[in-house]
Amino acid sequence: MRLRATKSRAAALPLLAAALLLLAGWRPAGKTSAEETRTTETGAEEAAVADEVALSQKFLLRNCRACHNARIQRGELDLTSLFEEAPEQHPVLAEKVIRKLRTGLMPPPERPKPDPGDVDRVASVLERRLDDRSARSPQPGSRPFQRLNRAEYERSVRDLLSLEVDAAAFLPPDTVSHGFDNIADVQSLSPTLMQGYLRAADSVSRAALGDPTAEATEVTFKVPRTRSQMERAENAPVGTRGGVAELHTFPATGIYVFKIVLHSTPTGQLFGSTVQGEKLEISVDGERRAVLEIDPFMSESDPNGMNLQSEPVLIEAGPRWVSAAFLERFEGPVDDLIKPIEHTLADTQIGLAHGVTTLPHLRSLTISGPSETTGASTSPSRQKIFSCRPTSASDEIRCAESIVERLAREAYRRPLETEDLASLMGFYEGAAGERGFEAGIRSVLQAILASPHFVFRFEPVPEDTTPGSTYEVAPASLATRLAFFLWGTAPDDELLSSSAALRHSDGIEQQVERMLQDPKAEAMASRFAAQWLRLQDLERLHPDALTYPQYDERLAAALRRETLLFFDHLVQTNASAAELLEADYTFLNERLASHYGIGGVSGDTFRRVEYPDDRRRGLLGHGSILALTSHANRTSPVLRGKWVMEVLLGSPPPPPPPDVPELEATDDVVGGKALTVRERLEEHRANPACRSCHRVIDPIGLALENFDVTGSWRTRDNGEPVDANGELFDGTPLRGPSDLAAALGRKQEVLMTTLTENLLAYALGRRLEPEDMPTVRSIVRRAAEDDYRMRSFIMGVATSAPFRFSQLQPGASSAAGGR
Amino acid sequence: MYLTNRHISRRTVLRGVGATVALPFLEAMRPARAAASALDVAGATDPTRLVCIEMVHGAAGSNEIGAQKNLWAPAAEGSDFDLGPSSLKPLEAYRDALTIVSNTDVRNAEAFTAREVGGDHFRSSATFLTQARPKQTEGSDVEVGISLDQMYAQRFGQDTPIPSMQLCIENVDQSGGCAYGYACVYTDTISWAAKDRPLPMVRDPRVAFDQLFGAGGTAEERSARRRADRSILDWITSEVGRLSADLGSTDRHRLDQYLEHVREVERRIHRIEAHNTSGETRELPEAPIGVPDGFEEHVRLMFDLQALAMASDMTRVFSFKMGRDGSARIYPESGVPLPFHPASHHGGKEDRVDKFAKINEYHVSMLPYFFDRLREIEVGDGNLLDKSLIIYGSPMGDSNLHNHKRCPLIFAGGANGKLQGNQHIKAPDGTPMANAMLSVMHKLGMDDVESFGDSTEPMTIT
Repeated sequence: MRLRATKSRAAALPLLAAALLLLAGWRPAGKTSAEETRTTETGAEEAAVADEVALSQKFLLRNCRACHNARIQRGELDLTSLFEEAPEQHPVLAEKVIRKLRTGLMPPPERPKPDPGDVDRVASVLERRLDDRSARSPQPGSRPFQRLNRAEYERSVRDLLSLEVDAAAFLPPDTVSHGFDNIADVQSLSPTLMQGYLRAADSVSRAALGDPTAEATEVTFKVPRTRSQMERAENAPVGTRGGVAELHTFPATGIYVFKIVLHSTPTGQLFGSTVQGEKLEISVDGERRAVLEIDPFMSESDPNGMNLQSEPVLIEAGPRWVSAAFLERFEGPVDDLIKPIEHTLADTQIGLAHGVTTLPHLRSLTISGPSETTGASTSPSRQKIFSCRPTSASDEIRCAESIVERLAREAYRRPLETEDLASLMGFYEGAAGERGFEAGIRSVLQAILASPHFVFRFEPVPEDTTPGSTYEVAPASLATRLAFFLWGTAPDDELLSSSAALRHSDGIEQQVERMLQDPKAEAMASRFAAQWLRLQDLERLHPDALTYPQYDERLAAALRRETLLFFDHLVQTNASAAELLEADYTFLNERLASHYGIGGVSGDTFRRVEYPDDRRRGLLGHGSILALTSHANRTSPVLRGKWVMEVLLGSPPPPPPPDVPELEATDDVVGGKALTVRERLEEHRANPACRSCHRVIDPIGLALENFDVTGSWRTRDNGEPVDANGELFDGTPLRGPSDLAAALGRKQEVLMTTLTENLLAYALGRRLEPEDMPTVRSIVRRAAEDDYRMRSFIMGVATSAPFRFSQLQPGASSAAGGR
Repeated sequence: MYLTNRHISRRTVLRGVGATVALPFLEAMRPARAAASALDVAGATDPTRLVCIEMVHGAAGSNEIGAQKNLWAPAAEGSDFDLGPSSLKPLEAYRDALTIVSNTDVRNAEAFTAREVGGDHFRSSATFLTQARPKQTEGSDVEVGISLDQMYAQRFGQDTPIPSMQLCIENVDQSGGCAYGYACVYTDTISWAAKDRPLPMVRDPRVAFDQLFGAGGTAEERSARRRADRSILDWITSEVGRLSADLGSTDRHRLDQYLEHVREVERRIHRIEAHNTSGETRELPEAPIGVPDGFEEHVRLMFDLQALAMASDMTRVFSFKMGRDGSARIYPESGVPLPFHPASHHGGKEDRVDKFAKINEYHVSMLPYFFDRLREIEVGDGNLLDKSLIIYGSPMGDSNLHNHKRCPLIFAGGANGKLQGNQHIKAPDGTPMANAMLSVMHKLGMDDVESFGDSTEPMTIT
């Protein structure tokens, strides 16, 4: 690979520094070089600077020294150097102070409150000093090369081959750092990973081409116990209930058998045997292919146990929706003595009681085959791959080359070189010679998918770059950075071919606008926001089935979807990020609306719904957030408060000391009376070691106490009326969720800073350092001028210096420089 | 075996279609071994199989009340100990294969600086098999020490197709799993190939199965796929040569590492080929379908795979992480409906300590199933349990206080005659767990290792 930068660019390094300053809007505006900045700081200006530094030092001495001196060091923080020296010499400390002052977390409530104007002035002085320092010597930072994580691998394969794959079946889990799964320096490499990519390449290439020689195998889809068997499964035919519907790629046209397993009671009888004549339908792309009759007397001790299977069925190759679902025989409530819970399988014994109507539950669907294969027919991935067909034997090489050229360019995310094509064609010739044209193409595809050019994202360093110096990221690499940032996948043709224009902010902005209109930009929600807001933690939560019988898999999915749709909406409509806290609308379907107690929404489709009252506002009214910060059997004001502090305010509370009992260890019943969560917390807080932090954390969460574990509204907890009163750490009284949203909304700049930090870290694939904060502030300042609209943050990140430039690590040298 | 048990196999194992795999099994290799010299050096031709199992959150018996009530370590030392009150009770049937080493401390999991205070959950696992002190960092400059299983695999695991395997039960990708300035990887894995090289652990039994036996329906198909992989690996090696000229030195260093992995995978393929051309072949049970729903089912399937891998001599070294620090998993079958982490903070109250002991006992009760499997497999003059050394323990002691004193530690198996079993050895107060580990290394044939982690001297274990 030869992607070196041209000589002229390497020579233009001093100019780059100037470009960097302009780029991020660094102060002082109008100055064009670092040298000039330094020389103009004379006379009056110097005196003014000295004055403001002295003023901030005075403030810090008065307000911080009592606890953060060399002797006491509360919170292991000694600010002595900031009392005596210029803040820019101690960026780590200074950034900590800025954060605490801006958030209003310091000085703590028991200390005298400084004048808010003074606080703002001092924070601004510190910021200005740090920003000026950064302007004098820009530090865009660096990271090692990234590799495709599971999500990126799946998306890249989807783009390249129009094929859905489950990367978790091949690749080890991704290490998460600072909440994101794409942080380069913790993406460790290992033989296990190497083998994972190899196995994936083999399997994906076979699935993509279809495999007329496919051996019979089995693929099983499990049905979670919490999936409702009363409602129709998504993508299953109308008129069915429960079961499962999955997209499955049939490797070849041939004979397949469908096998199902049903749930049994603990003693081995069929669960749901109170009704007779239940039937299960197997359909492929909506068309009935088999009906299985369910014998209510079937038992684990039968020769086939809870297994049923279809007659052999002929299925055409390619991706198809397969469903196994029960035929719906009646609708509406059953007049039972006991109403079973929304048909989750919390307890399979329930079916043994009289007076309860239970229905059979599907446990798994297995697709087994093919046998008697007759070949591979058309499929989206074959159409994508075979852009030509050889018309004669002599035409095969030409056609193969054109296919390989296109696939490899897309997979390598850069123009191909002669060597690239030549070496890949070696694989074609080897396999085609033995087993023909298609086998040759498959062999190349396998090599492409296993190659380091595909699984790694290399960014070449220009020749003669010296250690510690800054260089412009090459256009093809920048196109890749943009694509993974906005789409979570590889750049498309248009982005790659216009990459030269990415040298200028205008060119970047033009592409960002275009890319955000592409459906793939949903990755901003499903990749970025989902991780920032920690939606993956929803999977961890299994609310107690007896207390929260309404919580099933479909509700959990709806909760997640609400938040993703909301974030996607903010990006697509370029709404203000302030909506994250303030929005008086959300996105609901019937199920979720009824969960929230909102009427007038029917059907499975999500739509924008305005809240009828002020109970819910923004993210803090989303069931997803409220559930993922709960325990299985109770709400957790501590987890909710912690989530707000970490995710929205960027100020993680310090960890608890080790020997403190958890809330579970405090008594939940006192004097024969069950305590509310608030009462238990108060018991807990009686411990002085806990109080200093929990009086900051808890009131945030307590303001949300009207929301139960699953995010639905409640007015009582353990029989007692819910008390959501409290006081935010800055003294604002809180009487419930809307007060909390409003109080946090007044800390707008803090929220915007946290959003920007997360967006930048995700885009760069590295954790932010104190040196990055000037960039963050400049993005926030520019967004402020645009009412904090979502796209100004995205544009700000995409055109920022750390995104467009990189730094050769000190002590390291480019290969070229080292030669 | 679980893998072939009809009742369970329906749920956890792919059946039907008759896709079986042929592989040489250990019995088939017996003649070759019998032909070897009578003075056969156990360490050379038939090394001890090593399985290192970590459970997190210490044990109820490490607490003061728990110790008094013998909830982990029995009262009597020597052979005449009573497991009745102990969480180790499920091992009564296997007491002849059991060596309890109690009262050792994992000092390197303690905090050494103010910043490290409270970070116990996020560094413990890294300490278990390394007995070294993890460097507090969230970056790629992670550092702790090489782990015991890897030292052994690097020396004695090179004859099998796969030198060692790493398995786990809990998912790693939930937020808040690591904090206090410790990289997640310290919590994610217990195996370290070098002090700065953590190894990922496999959670999906199907992935483990495919890694062991390869994908593809028949022996010929597997073999063809391995050939394809080999030519791709060759090609990658040459591609990397072309690439590295354009990169900075950090990236070039990373590429060098990658090349090492490429060679390692090539080596494994080569070994499998050699292995498959020797000995008689047996049928393999079919591949499991994925991660089962329940803890017990998952653990048993992982034990099946370990027994199967050792029976077919694909590898002789495993590390297995059965829990994850901070996990709030509820184990309904334990009879205690409390989440694991909250339950471990029992506040030193007797009833809560007792409940936590029940959870510990439930975890220990997973082991007999594995021992049964190993004992069923005949190898040469004995069975695999006799020839294995299984370590089960936790790098935490009293989880309520997050301390690392009086940590749970047991050894099981005969270790090729090096462990007599039915022993309870109580170490003098303040003995590092590393001393026991050092002694284990000597039993494994690594006699020249003089110190390990914070060890002071090898412990006497018979």
